Amino acid sequence: MNIETSHIKKIYKEKTVLSLDGQFSDLQFESGKIHGIIGPNGSGKTTLMKIIAGLIAPSSGAVLYNGQPLCQDIFSEMTYSTHTPTLFSRSVYQNIAYPLKIRKQEKNAIDQTVSQLLEEFEIDDIKDQSARHLSGGESQKIALARALSFSPKALFLDEPTANIDPKSIQIIEAALQKRNREQGLTIIIITHNLSQAFRICNHLTFLDQGSCLFSDTPEKIMTTSHSTIDEFISFNRF
Amino acid sequence: MDYILNGFVEAFRLIFSFDPEIIQIVLLSLFVSFSATLYGTLIGVPLGIALGIHHFRGKKVVSRFLYTFMSFPPVIIGLFTALFLARSGPFGQFQLMYTPTAMIIAQTILVTPVIMGIVFNHASTSGYEVVQTGKTLGARRWDILILLVLELKAVIMIALVTGFGRAISEVGAVMIVGGNIRGFTRVMTTFIAMNNNMGQYSVSIAMGLILMSISFFTNSLLYHFILGDQNEYRD
Repeated sequence: MNIETSHIKKIYKEKTVLSLDGQFSDLQFESGKIHGIIGPNGSGKTTLMKIIAGLIAPSSGAVLYNGQPLCQDIFSEMTYSTHTPTLFSRSVYQNIAYPLKIRKQEKNAIDQTVSQLLEEFEIDDIKDQSARHLSGGESQKIALARALSFSPKALFLDEPTANIDPKSIQIIEAALQKRNREQGLTIIIITHNLSQAFRICNHLTFLDQGSCLFSDTPEKIMTTSHSTIDEFISFNRF
Repeated sequence: MDYILNGFVEAFRLIFSFDPEIIQIVLLSLFVSFSATLYGTLIGVPLGIALGIHHFRGKKVVSRFLYTFMSFPPVIIGLFTALFLARSGPFGQFQLMYTPTAMIIAQTILVTPVIMGIVFNHASTSGYEVVQTGKTLGARRWDILILLVLELKAVIMIALVTGFGRAISEVGAVMIVGGNIRGFTRVMTTFIAMNNNMGQYSVSIAMGLILMSISFFTNSLLYHFILGDQNEYRD
């Protein structure tokens, strides 16, 4: 899914939290790529992602999905997950099966898809446990497995690997890269981990204080001379 | 001290004698309070969820009013209900004063804010996240409603039992609008209050024990069927 934003602005309680104008007034998130959004805290990353995901409306500006404005059909082909996912008070299996159930898939098909995801995310041993009482890493994996279960065309992730162990990070990154490679899934990921951004992203967008300072390939961000970006990169190195 | 001990002995004798008047009072109390809880649930749960999951201007004011109504004294609710239902009041033509219907109305007014407030509180905190998550997974309006009710199932049950507890244990409202008429509007709490005033402690204690047993029974059901399911994972 090709996503384009144009002159997005978000004002919250009379404060401008996001304002994309000037050189980067129009952002393009090309179909089939993994896009990273990086930047310091409070830079408007989550606001931008929520606007793109259709969860909040911009104060002004527009977002187009394959050239079309947001509608229910497009919305149901996208999904969003955060580093503090809301898991339903039912078993791990039932959580992952939920998107398939509401799409009225047959039980055998649901079983097959959920089993594959449980195995891929290495959470097969906890499939019957309540999803409400698990560790952060397990919750993140369940949330991502649930988000991927219905094969969305666009996936929005807000720090999906924050505070989880390296092995779980590896599992999550592998799952994302596999879907991107095999299904052409468009992924937009917010991360504070620059090495992760370089590992998996084809495109990076840098936000600071509600403005976009950079939007291009990861290689080019290293040669960009901007004090805020330089500072962010140098802090990430150490 | 003897009169207290004798009161308990007499109370147990009364309970196991299955006195028709006692049975009638217990059944009327259950009917009135269950009906009020049912109506309170039908009004309070959807409103509590709707107010909780939506962000709107004045939500804080609404919540303050709601929490105030949760602790409204039953006797005041009884008084206002009586003013409206009395023969000279706006609804006097329906001749509801001193009937079980009037008692149900008063208790419904009493329990609705309790049920609504508990559901509202939880819907405001966790309900919004559930709705957002459901939406991002492709749930439509009807799916979200089912999801929300299932996610708030335990809260709704707690609200229901709390509402029932408030209804069955209150005396002020039913005394004013029901009139404590023997064989017609006399319920457990008005029966206890009346007999206590008359110095008949044994029957008061007997009814008190029945009232406590009902409360214990409804709470046990809640924990067994609803909360028990959730607790079993917490090892």
